[in-house]
Amino acid sequence: MFFIHPAFLVVSLGFAITFHITIKGSESLKFLGGLLTFACLLAVLNPLINSRGERILFTYLGGRPYTMEALLYGFAISIMFVAVIIWFSTYNQIMTSDKFLYIFGRIAPSGSTVLTMTLRFVPNYRNKIIQLSNSRSAIGLGISGKKKQKVENALMIISSLITWAFEGGIVTADSMKSRGHGTGARTSFALYSFDVRDKTLLVLIIVLEIITLTCGIMGAAETEYTPKLYIQSMNSGCFVAGITAYILLLAIPTILNLMEEIKWRISRSRI
Amino acid sequence: MANFKIKNLNFYYPTTPDTPSLKNVNLDIEEGGYITVCGRSGSGKTTLLKHLKTVLTPHGKREGEILFDGRPLDEVGLREQSSRIGFVMQNPDSQIVTDKVWHELAFGLESLGMEKKAIRLRVAEMASYFGIQDWFHKDVSELSGGQKQLLNLASVMAMQPDVLILDEPTSQLDPIAASDFLNTVKKINLELRTTIVITEHRLEDILYASDKVVVMEDGLVQVEGNPRDIGNLLREKNSQMFSMMPTPVQVFYGVQEADIIKAGPEIESAELKMGNMNFNSRNHNPSGNSVMPSERGSADCPLTVREGGDWLSEIFAKEKPGETRIDRGEAALEKADRFLDADPKECPIVVKEAWFRYEKESPDILRGVTLKVPPKSISAIVGGNGTGKSTFLKSIIGVCRIYRGKILIAGKKLEKYRYDELFRNNIAMLPQDPSNLFVKKTVREELEEMVSKDDPERVDSMGKLCQIEHLYSSHPYDLSGGEQQRVALAKVLLTNPGILLLDEPTKGIDSFFKKTFAGILSKLKEKGVTILMVTHDVEFCAKYADVVSMFFDGSVVTTNLPHEFFSRNSFYTTAANRMSRHIFENAITDEDLIELCKRNM
Repeated sequence: MFFIHPAFLVVSLGFAITFHITIKGSESLKFLGGLLTFACLLAVLNPLINSRGERILFTYLGGRPYTMEALLYGFAISIMFVAVIIWFSTYNQIMTSDKFLYIFGRIAPSGSTVLTMTLRFVPNYRNKIIQLSNSRSAIGLGISGKKKQKVENALMIISSLITWAFEGGIVTADSMKSRGHGTGARTSFALYSFDVRDKTLLVLIIVLEIITLTCGIMGAAETEYTPKLYIQSMNSGCFVAGITAYILLLAIPTILNLMEEIKWRISRSRI
Repeated sequence: MANFKIKNLNFYYPTTPDTPSLKNVNLDIEEGGYITVCGRSGSGKTTLLKHLKTVLTPHGKREGEILFDGRPLDEVGLREQSSRIGFVMQNPDSQIVTDKVWHELAFGLESLGMEKKAIRLRVAEMASYFGIQDWFHKDVSELSGGQKQLLNLASVMAMQPDVLILDEPTSQLDPIAASDFLNTVKKINLELRTTIVITEHRLEDILYASDKVVVMEDGLVQVEGNPRDIGNLLREKNSQMFSMMPTPVQVFYGVQEADIIKAGPEIESAELKMGNMNFNSRNHNPSGNSVMPSERGSADCPLTVREGGDWLSEIFAKEKPGETRIDRGEAALEKADRFLDADPKECPIVVKEAWFRYEKESPDILRGVTLKVPPKSISAIVGGNGTGKSTFLKSIIGVCRIYRGKILIAGKKLEKYRYDELFRNNIAMLPQDPSNLFVKKTVREELEEMVSKDDPERVDSMGKLCQIEHLYSSHPYDLSGGEQQRVALAKVLLTNPGILLLDEPTKGIDSFFKKTFAGILSKLKEKGVTILMVTHDVEFCAKYADVVSMFFDGSVVTTNLPHEFFSRNSFYTTAANRMSRHIFENAITDEDLIELCKRNM
């Protein structure tokens, strides 16, 4: 994630994009287009802040240099930034709360209970606020009128929400106690199970990760942009091993999704 | 399997150390039984139920003992209690702990530290038994109220309890979801032999299924007996609680009373003096046969509409009743003229072909509603769930803006009103959940929020009208459903509205509070307030409304006077009407039916 070697960056961005497309389809193009435009803007702006570098492209504002190195650095950073955003956006799509709980529930069962309760509160409170404000506006106490009045009425709704939440909290606590919460050790239940397939993938991911990291530490992705451009040669054995492992690692999600798609196509065409 | 024995239980809340909330309660709850506990709000039902599970038992001074399976309840371990005694509470929302349906089902089992495999099986079993498969993966926030309560029931049942305790489980549900829920409870009792202890307002749905009915008043067990006798026992004690009984019971005893008076006033008075008003004497006291007209009221007390209908058929088997309808004559014509043919110019609310949808892409909720609400009337809109009734009220008040059509409030277009002008002395709405209006620490402060300058007189007169003066210093959340309702109503009325909109005003309220509430409404009507309510409560409409409209598929299908409306419907009508429609033409309320029976005897 933090490699700024151009080859590594291109690989990361490339697979982030393909994976995003396999999940979201054509919808993702709009999102990606916007992001990439933003990235270019960011890259072009970087030299305005960072004036270090050897090759000066032009000067402005009475001699402030706009350098090649800073521009390249800007591209590298913004590509990294965009790649991270895309990876996280896919993460959000895929890691629903139940999957998250499945993974962390066993490590901390009570912590995961708190989390799942919090997840329930969010839509619950939102609905209640709508209800409260509708009810109040139906007797002429809605959020309207003068500024002071508006603020006062909005605060009333919040205060009312808090009272209601406490009141509900007592019932929830009773309901939890009544179902044996706090009477001893908890277990954590999830709908998922850990198959052979999961194990194989996990091992593969760990191995690839170790290779990438070791190569990274050994300098496979060593790169510096400012003040002097230095990029690790693409011929060194260390680099080749590192980038291969990196490509394989990042390609896994895309490959999995594509294979599934292909299998479906094939089985459908057989019918 | 398990049973409870409650012996001489007394209980005092710390806030009222002198007056006991439970007085000398003795109760046996047998294995596999179905016990209904009823009584008005504040009679100690909930307090009693909470004593049956240690973690829920309120703090306070306690005397007497509770045995579970022969052991004192306190000595039964918490884990054992968690799984063997299930408890379902009133509020469907707050009881849910987790965010997913499947997780909620597993929550209790996780707490007990069960193995994942075992949980998987139990969860699968429960989801199949309760028909939850279709929404098993959903977020709980997507569920309807009825589904939420069913989920609460299922997740308690997942722990395989021997006893299931339910504290007014359906008070927040609409009638259809409520009777579905209660049917499921009955099924659990019949198929799994789980002992049921339930408190409930909707006696018509559970009385026939119970083995034992316990009526409480002021912390005392007033009457205890089997459901067929309970009406009689209550009458003997001349208890107010009799008015809670479902229609068939009311009519049965109402007619018998008339019968006795007819049979001979001297005998009746003699009986009264002896304090032996045993109406159902044939079953218990064979010598009473001479008093009872032998062919009438001889059977057991009917509990369901079917039994009630059979009983009526039996009475009128020999001679067909001469009078089959209540002729409302001139009065009805006058009413029809006043309410149905009211001049639209005088109607405070006129809606013409209103269309509404929440979002551009979403389906229409209101599909051309046309309605006029006659002045100084109580108008009711009935209809199923999700037909758009509540949305309709919201559009009248301007919370939802219609995109086509016209709404006139007091003769002026809704959109021409300035916001503050609309709500000043003009229109106001009481929300479905009255607690939505509560923002202060005491009832008094709640009311004072509505009065701009210190105007204690208005607050006091409103308090008097809504009968909440004794509650002024209480916290609004500490009140019962009916009391909250009246406080919220008082708050709404302090805006001095000429038009009052009510959204499900009788939800979660017992029959006594309903009566009080209806009294307040009719006083308001006398003062010239126009009332429009949306409700599921058919019986309430039949008794107190002037005009009833049926809402279906986003528009008003028909509007009529209540007796016309309900006697024409065959399904969407009152219990009295369903029970008697094969004999009488237009008996709508219990009183109508009793009156018609009397005339034909």
